[in-house]
Amino acid sequence: MKITIRHWHAIAQWRWDIGGTSDHDDADAEDDVCGICRVPYEGCCPACKMPGDDCPLIWGECSHVFHMHCLLKWLGTAASKQQCPMDRRPWVTAERKIAQPVAPAALPSTAPS
Amino acid sequence: MASISARRLRKELSEIHVEGCPVGINLLSADNFEQWLLSLEVMGESQYPGEVFALKFRFDPNYPISSPAVQFVVDGKYTSPVHPHVYSNGHICASILGNEWSPVLSVIGICVTLQSMLASCKKKERPQDNDRYVLHAPDNPKKTRFHYDVDTV
Repeated sequence: MKITIRHWHAIAQWRWDIGGTSDHDDADAEDDVCGICRVPYEGCCPACKMPGDDCPLIWGECSHVFHMHCLLKWLGTAASKQQCPMDRRPWVTAERKIAQPVAPAALPSTAPS
Repeated sequence: MASISARRLRKELSEIHVEGCPVGINLLSADNFEQWLLSLEVMGESQYPGEVFALKFRFDPNYPISSPAVQFVVDGKYTSPVHPHVYSNGHICASILGNEWSPVLSVIGICVTLQSMLASCKKKERPQDNDRYVLHAPDNPKKTRFHYDVDTV
């Protein structure tokens, strides 16, 4: 028997790594929307056409997450007083900590010489 | 392209249609993304038994980055609730509509806040400066710089 593949569709799925929710189930998916525009994190802000790297998320030290463009639009207004829309604390952008496997070579040696 | 406000309001509207409004709150009209009307009544024991009010929301294209203009409707059918923070022309002195607005708030969220503002009222009276304010009040309450009291009425 000979099989000829005429065409095929590759399908991929992606999600922003919003940290600590790797075992996220779909029941929580509804909460995964930007509080400002109410569009899912994996969607894009109302000003963009394509989701992805061109419309990234932004994390605050307060742990709240928004589409970066939505938050910047808010912080650009005098009314924002530079506060997080969720908790009204001064907005401080968090350093993005990406969990990466620690290479053994990078571990400090504890063996006495 | 649709404005930010239209996209966001479309989402709020579908949420209302799917989940319904909280008790005491009803959508009267939302035919466009510039102005919505909702009715509001206070449930349980309150100073406003049997009274039904209407809230008018006006949105600019930048909502929810900019706050909506919210006021009670005063016409032949509806009146402004007698409350220390509500003027007889329907304008409301509430910090969340002014300097404490946040873009994560929503139409229903505002209604619930105003409902509890009425529910916690102990004495039905107008703001002290009601007559003076109403005489010169702008059409749009967002143009007023309210002085917010620290109390929680």
